[in-house]
Amino acid sequence: MKKNIALLGQSFLRNYVLIAILALIVVTMLVEPNFMTFANLINIMRQFGPLVMVSLGMTFVIIGGFIDLSVAGTISLVAVVTVTLIDPIGQVPAILVGLGVGALCGYVNSLLVLSSGALTQAEALFITFGMSTVYSAIALMYSGGSTKHMRFLKGDTSVIEALGQGSVGIFSVSFLVFLVCLAVLWVFQTQTRMGRAICLTGGNKTAAHLCGVPVSRSIIAIYTISGFMAAIGAIILFSRITTASPVIGAGYETNAILAVVVGGTTLKGGKGSVLRTVMGVLLVILMSNCLNLLGVTPYMQVVTKGAILVLAIWLDNRTQI
Amino acid sequence: MMTIMESSAPLLKLATKQKAFVAIVGMLVLMLFFDTNFYTTYNLLDMLNSTSILLILAFGVSLTVISAGCDLSIGGIMVVAGIIAIKLMDVMPMWGAILCALVFGAFVGFVNGFLVVQQKTEPFIITLGMGMLLTGVAQQLTDARPVPASNPDFMIIGNGDFFGMPYLVIIMLVCFALAHWLMRYTQYGRNLYAIGGDYEVALYSGIDVVRTKWIAFVISGAGAALAGVLLSSKLNTGSSIYGETAALIVNCGVVVGGTSFAGGIGGIPQSALGLLVFGILDNAMNMLGITSYIQILLKGAIIVGIIWMDCFYQKRKRELV
Repeated sequence: MKKNIALLGQSFLRNYVLIAILALIVVTMLVEPNFMTFANLINIMRQFGPLVMVSLGMTFVIIGGFIDLSVAGTISLVAVVTVTLIDPIGQVPAILVGLGVGALCGYVNSLLVLSSGALTQAEALFITFGMSTVYSAIALMYSGGSTKHMRFLKGDTSVIEALGQGSVGIFSVSFLVFLVCLAVLWVFQTQTRMGRAICLTGGNKTAAHLCGVPVSRSIIAIYTISGFMAAIGAIILFSRITTASPVIGAGYETNAILAVVVGGTTLKGGKGSVLRTVMGVLLVILMSNCLNLLGVTPYMQVVTKGAILVLAIWLDNRTQI
Repeated sequence: MMTIMESSAPLLKLATKQKAFVAIVGMLVLMLFFDTNFYTTYNLLDMLNSTSILLILAFGVSLTVISAGCDLSIGGIMVVAGIIAIKLMDVMPMWGAILCALVFGAFVGFVNGFLVVQQKTEPFIITLGMGMLLTGVAQQLTDARPVPASNPDFMIIGNGDFFGMPYLVIIMLVCFALAHWLMRYTQYGRNLYAIGGDYEVALYSGIDVVRTKWIAFVISGAGAALAGVLLSSKLNTGSSIYGETAALIVNCGVVVGGTSFAGGIGGIPQSALGLLVFGILDNAMNMLGITSYIQILLKGAIIVGIIWMDCFYQKRKRELV
């Protein structure tokens, strides 16, 4: 009997995200009948776009035992670079350059972390915070501090418009992009050697190094993936809101960490999965959607998010012991 | 190769240990070559005055960093405490309102201490989440608008002076003296260094590690609240926007001064020097007419550079052992 209760408690702690999602949906359905309307579900699906991309990238960084605060700066930089390049070089090359810039930002982060020999999350946190400031400043300098509107562009923007507004059947295009990214990253994480190397790096760097796991290459991989996914997120974000301001990415770093941790990937590194992160993102988005429908002010939503982040880390820590 | 490494070791040590002092001397010498108003009593005093609030934040944070922790919630505590002081002034005497704000700060520090020290969570991300939560609270309290102070006497604290010496600078110097005395000449301070140096050894030496470290977080919270009250008084308004980057800048400043995130080394004078680097840099860049975007870029680059050096020094130390 006692064992059964312990097992029940364990499975509850392991699946508390799923339970929380279900509880949230049930409560909101009872209180607000508009929740289950088709329009609202489409709305939720569209909101999924940018945050989930950034969070998927962040998942690898956290599994690898590090953290990446630079995604805020990366998103801003990629957004302004891509928008300003649409006119001179066309939309598809502009998107490719944007993705390249994102990956490059991540690569630079990884080089800084590697060359300094940073081992702990704290060191990586401050290095990437500094780099976030640098990338934001470059975005501000590049754009002159002004917001770029897509409708003032002369060039063809059909691909970006499709990404932002188009849909195939009942799925929006950005949702399909998300499914493709998720599939690729899931296969990468579970089926490839590099994916396992990242997990081992996060578990114990010294032990992984002594066992011949390519720790340096794993660190380069996690930050480059994070930068690249942030770039995809940036492009989806501005295709949806059709403007790119040099401060567009602010706040994404904490939201992504929130989604990853709430999903159940431990901040201690070595364990976690991209699928869990998707659940975490779903919970965060459903929560803000429910709170919106219930008429809670956006400020109180920041409070709730902060409280959930603190609570999730605390719970995560307790389950580890 | 070996001889170069050996002969560069003391230089590297000097540069990493006294980097704040070197940077300050470098900037002061550099400013001699430019024809600006930098070297006027008025400007130097004004610079000290505007850095005072950051310095007061840094003294509390130094305690947590020396004990191998960190406090990123100070930005949130600062803005909420400032707003509390201004709001409560309508219903109670000024000193009562200020006292309430300080008690609030100490209480948040107590909660941080509970989570970090008693529950042994990672201090970096959990205090970041706490800061996010408090920023939301500040926005909710003020509706994201600045709130003016009702009591005209309140303004005097932040703007008055005593024979030309601003009250802010005097308060900062008193805090400096208190913090320095606490860390240098009391058993409590020595215990904090011991805990930061090696937690286990401190524990087996009979130090009450949990209580000692917990108190450091309470002091940090109260210090942040004091800084918040002073900031509100200086601006004569309470607003939710000032805390956003203060936390990370102050923590970086503490490390710039020579206090390492690994804990156990550093001190209050070092932290003061570290924050002065940022104060002088701000002032000098304004004097030279450098645009704000480049200022942001330079600050980010300096943060990355100095944290990089700190990590590199830690790595060298590990390799020597």
